[in-house]
Amino acid sequence: MYFLFKQNPVVVAGSVIAVGSLLLALLSGFIVQPNLWQVEHLDQRLCWNNPAFSWPIPNVYNCSGASYPLGTDSYGRDVLQMIILAVPLDLEISLTIVILATIVGVALGSLAAYAGGKIDELILRVTDVFFALPALVLAIVVMVVLGRTLQNLTIAVLITWWPYYVRLIRSQVLSEKERPYVEALRSTGASPLRILFLHILPNTIYPVIVQMTLDIGGVILTFSALMFLGFSPNPTLPELGNLVTDGINYVFTAPWLIIFPGLTIVIIVLGFNLLGDGIRDILDPRLRR
Amino acid sequence: MLEVKDLRVVFHTYAGEVKALDGVNLTLNRREILGLVGESGCGKSVTALAIAGLLPENASANGQIILDGRNLLTLSREEMRQARLKDIAVVFQDPMTYLNPVFQVGFQITEALISEKQVYEGQLINQRVQELQEDQMRGDRDSQELEIDRAKLQHSVESGKLSRGEAKGLARQVALQYLKLVQLPEPERIFKMYPFELSGGMRQRAMIAMALVRRPKVLLADEISTALDVTVQAQILALLKELRDRIDASVILVTHDLAVVSEVCDRVAVMYAGNVVEVAELRELFANPMHPYTQGLMAAVPRPDRSSVKLQSIKGSVPDLIYPPSGCRFHPRCPKAFASCPSTKPPLIEVQKGHGVECLLYG
Amino acid sequence: MFLLVFILLVISLVVFYLARGALPPEYSLAPYITPRMSDAQKLDLAQSLGVASAVCPSYSAFSSHVPGCQAPLWSQYVDWLKLVFSGNWGYSQLPGLVGSTKTWDVFSARFPYTAQIAIFSSVLTFLIAFPMGIISATHNNKLPDHASRIAALVGYSLPVYWFGYMLQIIFVLYLAVQGRGLFPSSGALATQCAICFSSPGVIPAITGLPLLDSLLSGNIPFFWDSFVSLILPALTLSLGTIAALTRIVRSSMMEALRQDYILLARSKGLRERIVVYRHALRNAMLPAITVSGLIFSFLLGGVVLVETVFAYPGIGQAIVDASLVVDINFLELYVLVTALILVVTNLCVDMIYAILDPRIRY
Repeated sequence: MYFLFKQNPVVVAGSVIAVGSLLLALLSGFIVQPNLWQVEHLDQRLCWNNPAFSWPIPNVYNCSGASYPLGTDSYGRDVLQMIILAVPLDLEISLTIVILATIVGVALGSLAAYAGGKIDELILRVTDVFFALPALVLAIVVMVVLGRTLQNLTIAVLITWWPYYVRLIRSQVLSEKERPYVEALRSTGASPLRILFLHILPNTIYPVIVQMTLDIGGVILTFSALMFLGFSPNPTLPELGNLVTDGINYVFTAPWLIIFPGLTIVIIVLGFNLLGDGIRDILDPRLRR
Repeated sequence: MLEVKDLRVVFHTYAGEVKALDGVNLTLNRREILGLVGESGCGKSVTALAIAGLLPENASANGQIILDGRNLLTLSREEMRQARLKDIAVVFQDPMTYLNPVFQVGFQITEALISEKQVYEGQLINQRVQELQEDQMRGDRDSQELEIDRAKLQHSVESGKLSRGEAKGLARQVALQYLKLVQLPEPERIFKMYPFELSGGMRQRAMIAMALVRRPKVLLADEISTALDVTVQAQILALLKELRDRIDASVILVTHDLAVVSEVCDRVAVMYAGNVVEVAELRELFANPMHPYTQGLMAAVPRPDRSSVKLQSIKGSVPDLIYPPSGCRFHPRCPKAFASCPSTKPPLIEVQKGHGVECLLYG
Repeated sequence: MFLLVFILLVISLVVFYLARGALPPEYSLAPYITPRMSDAQKLDLAQSLGVASAVCPSYSAFSSHVPGCQAPLWSQYVDWLKLVFSGNWGYSQLPGLVGSTKTWDVFSARFPYTAQIAIFSSVLTFLIAFPMGIISATHNNKLPDHASRIAALVGYSLPVYWFGYMLQIIFVLYLAVQGRGLFPSSGALATQCAICFSSPGVIPAITGLPLLDSLLSGNIPFFWDSFVSLILPALTLSLGTIAALTRIVRSSMMEALRQDYILLARSKGLRERIVVYRHALRNAMLPAITVSGLIFSFLLGGVVLVETVFAYPGIGQAIVDASLVVDINFLELYVLVTALILVVTNLCVDMIYAILDPRIRY
């Protein structure tokens, strides 16, 4: 383990951040009361009294006494607490999407690769259609039609994401399929499903895991962007993109509303990116056959 | 004309210091083909790369490699590059990976001639002159055409430098000539083809043409037949034999196959674990191997005419070059090792004229 | 070619079905209605558009969803296709429109601005990412490499919209010159760029892009205006794509430099510069080119975000408003144009790839 660290401080840093954020997500319910985001303190809105840092803005309200490490938002809620509440929501949505996208990708991708022929063509054409639109635009269209709920948001991002996994897994299975051991297995009469699930997929799993890890960050970026644009069901919902939306009107009068939630996103996404990169580097010599 | 004295090469790797070459001594005479034989990992490719100055970043080389009176190891990178332009050429093992897949074969052959045209101008012009003369003598071409060509050439010579276009044209002619020389059919077509369109044997011939076109003094051929089928291998070797009289280069042929050596080489150097252990003329070496390793090698070759004799192998295995054996590196496996072998590294001793051995048995 | 048409048809079909199918029928009519129409006129219009069936008795029956009044979706789609092919995209319902409210006009007035940002960002991306990636690869594991890797990784992890605001905060709040921000904080509201956005027709439309047109016609104040308001959005947008492309260029260059043909090239005595930029780069460009289609797709998506953050009057900002009021025609137009651009771009990318890699052609 120590050797791993010496070789790869990147992985360690990344996994520390990633695990840290997951832990935070799990424990947030104990740190901050879960329904705090629904409570408004309008007399305490938009204030900042953290002595460690002061803004070059005139007339910053100083919260008349109560201490808020990261200031308050336009509803008078403590920004730090909101962030702590937002992390589990973001991670939960992101993990859901990534896992579902992988499942769909595995199903369709291996179907396409294994069945070949017309089915393959069909699935490829379908992914082509999805690739013809930018992810964000597609998600916007879906949201417009479906309406604004968290569920629909998840569905929208999922719809934009699964084509990548289908393509990825399809190409992995395709190249794995040609290997001699698969031919050997087929000649012993093993059924295609068995070959697929017990032999091919486990061997193709490494790049998929790397992609999943990297995508956890990417998905957060995408759906928080959607929330930022105004597609969230409730503007007071504690979600990192949503918190940034709150601050749009106060960019120059209360910049902490935008800076800190966004910074949290950066840290979390960076953590997972580092982790994903690190995993890829570790597995790379083994991947290269 | 090329002398290697006490060449030592060490690779600095994560796993440790690999002492690949431990004092290699070689001489290469003019217009001869020297075979460099040995097992995988004995350092023969490293020797070739060291001569060409192509060792990787993590290698350090000491000793002397003397070509035309200069020690190549003391040259700067730029000077070494110039040396590679004019004097040294390498032909590599696997033509598929050594040829750039996105460029045409002809382009790859001529690119050095064109981008460094100032170096090759004289050569290109002379070759063209020669060609024109030959054409005239054979009466192949219309005399008017010849006059035009000759005038063009005259113009280039007088202006002192070749333009890029002229260089391209001349280089192409030269390349076609050499493609013909290496017995490739339809050189004009091949010139425009991409590496993946050619067969293995054709690619190897193209690589040989690529090396020869620069008229090097030293040609290093690193396992050039190893990646090919046996029949193609035979063709390439036959080609080499044919070429040796037509070109003015000295060749170091690196291989692990004694049979290859016996086909084409004039002299042979046997390497083991980073040392040249024996060097002699071809027939002399086969008739009278002196070093115990060479003797072991000869005995290990299966002979169809002596099928009743058991196959001999050399006991033990190739040493780890990070922690090589002390003294004579062969001593752990040597049937004739004695007391001083582990402690003393044997110097190169010339036992007979032209036959040298690095073994304490002989002095 | 057929693929293009096929994709466009499928997309338009899906969007159409989703839109008209999921939303009440009045929505489908809204883009074509002007406020002063009587009910009879509305019914006429609905029937001529194919939205209402011929047997529908009155407009109120139609709007109260009496069954049988709404024409089947497939026939609506066919009618809509006919309309679209004749250039009729109806009226846009975006708030705050000035001048013509026809969807096509609204769209084409805003499109050049988005095109500007997208093109500028792509150019910026390629100009910066390639040298950075190459230098990173050739100076592997030394300072420039580490610096660019960290920068790329961080750039890859930033939310585009957040970074836009961060840039605004930095340039307007912190780097203020004489109390005024260095750059305009938002496109339309900036004192400096009031000129460029509020006076169409001031410059001749040569390329259709205000930035280039003003430069080409010598109108320097206009050009400077456009440029200054373009720079921050473009930088914000390019950051992510520069990061992604740099990583890919770096890894593919490193892979290329490891290849055997590099050793051969060096053994021929070629200058190092030629070895790297001719032999290695040519091969390394292939994965990078493949990915540029994805990058352009990301740009077109991100443009929505930067336009919102910087209040830049392009179609990206309009789409957000359009989603709020569910302006179907605008949505359709936007989606189709975007898809067209992307598919054409991908085709071009494939062609370029085939030119660069002879192995593909055979």
